[in-house]
Amino acid sequence: MSALVLMAQIAGRRCAMAAEDVRSVIDLGVIAPVPRAPAFIAGITALRSQTLTVIDCRLALGLEAASLYPTDTRAAVVATGGHSYALMVDAIEDIATSLGEPGHIPGGFGAEWQRAATGMIETGIGPALLLDLRPLIAGPLAGARTNRAAA
Amino acid sequence: MDDLLADFIAETREMLEATGGELVAWEADPADRARLDAVFRFVHTVKGNCGFFDFPRLAALSHAAEDALADLRAGRREASAALVSAVLAIIDRIAAMVDAIEAGQDFGADDDAVLIAALGAEDAESDFAHDPAPLLPEQMLAKRGEPAPALAAPRTIRLPVELLDRVMSGVSDMVLARNDLAHRLRESGTQPTIDGPFERLTAILSDVRDAITRMRMQRIETLFGALPRLVRDLSAELGKQVLIDLEGGNVELDREMIETIRDPLTHIIRNAIDHGIEAPAARRAAGKREIGMLTLSAHQSGNTIAIVVSDDGRGLDEAKIAAKAIATGLITEAEGAAMSRDKILQLIFEPGFSTADSISNVSGRGVGLDVVRQNLEKVGGSIAVSSQPGVGTLFTLTIPLTLSIIAGLTVEVAGQRFAVPQGYIEEIIEADAARLDYAQMGERALITFRGERVPCLLLADVLGLPAPDMRIGTHTLALLRLASGDLFALCVERIHSHGDLVVKPLAPAVMKCGLYAGSALLDDGQPVLLLDVTRIAAEHGLLSEARSRTMRGAEKEARAQATHTARAMLFTAIDGRRAAIRLELVQRIETIPASAVDLSLAQPRAVIDGLILPLAGFGDAPLARPKLRLLRLSDGASELLYAVGDVEDAVELPAELTPVPGDPLVEGLMLQGGRPVAVLSGHALFAAHGRPAEPAERPACLLPDTEWARAILAPLVEEAGYQVVSEDSAKAPGAVSIMMEDLYEVASHLGQLPAGPVIRLRDHPDAPTGSPSIYRYDREGLAKALKAAAGGRA
Repeated sequence: MSALVLMAQIAGRRCAMAAEDVRSVIDLGVIAPVPRAPAFIAGITALRSQTLTVIDCRLALGLEAASLYPTDTRAAVVATGGHSYALMVDAIEDIATSLGEPGHIPGGFGAEWQRAATGMIETGIGPALLLDLRPLIAGPLAGARTNRAAA
Repeated sequence: MDDLLADFIAETREMLEATGGELVAWEADPADRARLDAVFRFVHTVKGNCGFFDFPRLAALSHAAEDALADLRAGRREASAALVSAVLAIIDRIAAMVDAIEAGQDFGADDDAVLIAALGAEDAESDFAHDPAPLLPEQMLAKRGEPAPALAAPRTIRLPVELLDRVMSGVSDMVLARNDLAHRLRESGTQPTIDGPFERLTAILSDVRDAITRMRMQRIETLFGALPRLVRDLSAELGKQVLIDLEGGNVELDREMIETIRDPLTHIIRNAIDHGIEAPAARRAAGKREIGMLTLSAHQSGNTIAIVVSDDGRGLDEAKIAAKAIATGLITEAEGAAMSRDKILQLIFEPGFSTADSISNVSGRGVGLDVVRQNLEKVGGSIAVSSQPGVGTLFTLTIPLTLSIIAGLTVEVAGQRFAVPQGYIEEIIEADAARLDYAQMGERALITFRGERVPCLLLADVLGLPAPDMRIGTHTLALLRLASGDLFALCVERIHSHGDLVVKPLAPAVMKCGLYAGSALLDDGQPVLLLDVTRIAAEHGLLSEARSRTMRGAEKEARAQATHTARAMLFTAIDGRRAAIRLELVQRIETIPASAVDLSLAQPRAVIDGLILPLAGFGDAPLARPKLRLLRLSDGASELLYAVGDVEDAVELPAELTPVPGDPLVEGLMLQGGRPVAVLSGHALFAAHGRPAEPAERPACLLPDTEWARAILAPLVEEAGYQVVSEDSAKAPGAVSIMMEDLYEVASHLGQLPAGPVIRLRDHPDAPTGSPSIYRYDREGLAKALKAAAGGRA
């Protein structure tokens, strides 16, 4: 399988998103914070007439101290479940072609990464972790929160 | 009717297209329940729709197919290839007939009976099996796609909503680009050659934007408009008499949302007329009016729009529903026994449920209600039913506000902006802690608003942002009135402009905060969150139960008597100056037409409620406006009117007023918002103008001596400027009498007709020809007759 992927740095690690999931890459403008929302929701921003929910990918992966990493002024826009999101990352790097199927490595990628990753892929510019957008957008505590809502 | 027909054709086509895939899948696996349901729904809808038009052949075909499918659904029959083919053949025939209807041609082939008979065939050896195989949907579509020469030109076009969305967001983007350009132009200074065209661009853009927004929005009227006809036709068909009452037609809804609720609403109305409202004889026997009432009302409450459909029919039979649910296996007997009445009633929305004893042509087998719920839930809405046996049934449909446009206010707190729906806002006040009578009771803050203690939330606290200290400085508070009637104050830092906001849904993770109802874009392209006022109030325990509310009302009254502070009504006088007058003197704020004012005398006067009252506050100003706002003042014995430009607010009077020597008309000065305001002297006003009201000459009107006349007729008659006199009081010469038709006849036989003019009322809306009587609920006719009688007398 060879498919286009968008390469990005998240918390200093190289990640990839399937290009077909990414609608566009935008310059992040004013972000209006959402008080009392989970930390990984950086706020909402406007993309033309649309409202995007801005997700800080570092925090969405359950990694603390996002401030340790630089933040790109650009963000990847993805849509899932009828809503559009802007993904905030360290840096958006390039478009690359993935070589082969996503694979796993012994011992996994670590709990939080494991949850949000489809697997490792090889690309022209080296290996990257292919992200699964749904669990990423659901945030680190998604499981716990759903349970509470159901109770 | 043509529009309805076009809708019918378009709808049937759309359903055929949507059902196409289901048909193929069902043919492949006739046991597939979901496909079967989809096919069933299609024929059911066709049957229901063609009931309104006169298409007996379509009705017969669809009814036959529906019967066969219903048997399959109920397990009374096994699906066989022959049956599937027969049903498909009927659906093909429906498609062909719809084409013919649109072209206005007669449908030629006359072998419907053969198709219907094929449904009864048990196996593949039926006669029908020898017929050519039914067309597959693909072929069907191809066939329909053939240009039919006689086809009428389409009267309307249907656009995919996505296209509208694209146009709409394109225009929004254009507005943002314009704003950006405007910004740059401002920076580079005035350039007349560019500014002119730019202004024009701005104007055009705002026009286009308005038009585009309206394109998506529709008043719910457009949906309501077709209902009276539907109700009339249905009730005629079922031999019932039903009146429909529509309210709230001006509520605006997204066009797509209106389309989504059109079918559910129609289904519910059909059900109400078919099953809810009884036949006239049964209604008479139950002591009700023969004419059943069906009421539809739409209102926007908070973040949802509620549509309530109520009828005054027989209500839902709880026992019957429970029995039916047990019989169809929806619930077990034990479950049924444990369920509350309310829970049992909601079972009618379960798939495959119906209570009708006989299957009529109209509402069929209750296929509607499960689909109704499904359709509503698809867009995030819900439906509930409540009912009282013998009294009526009430369906409440709620649909989310998303995509709706609401009027909103933006407020600022800690440097961030949020939007609040305007509908909640009762008043905005700006004051310091002392004036607000701010008090902290435990964790709860209270302010005093018009003598009432109102809980106060700091928006900053609610949102977890740095909150200001309420005891220092002045604050801006929005007083919010919830749909439940509860009032609370929301303290913000600043209030910005208001305008129409297009509310868009939020991502689930943001919704979970429980504070926001949606997001909207401000004019400068900045996104804001729309506060979910009701939920915020509920989270803070500010939503009261109905019972505690009435208790609080009583307390409030008691407290209002206990704390008696002097208050004044602040207003802008006709000459533009701000003034105040003690609140105790103000009875009411009235608005009267300028024609009721007489300025020709030295003492201006105005007529109000049939009384001639002195009018003050006019000065030398000419009577420029068509309507006049007045304060109606009373000192207990006499009344006078004071003309004002605008009424502002009720404020607390300081303990001592600054005296103004030399002006007897002013009691003193008070400070309001840093500026002096003259408090008018009630004493001087009444000394100069006050005198007991003179009754304007009001004609007398004699009413029938019934409860109805006293309760319902009397206010109407008084409104028309009459004085209602009772039968046994002295009969004024020339008094107008209102008599019921039957009494009039008796009186005329006995030669005891009253001397003055007589207005005759009848019980029945339809007049016998040549009768001068008026239907007793014909308000307009009655008012006209009263006016004529008064004119004749004068």
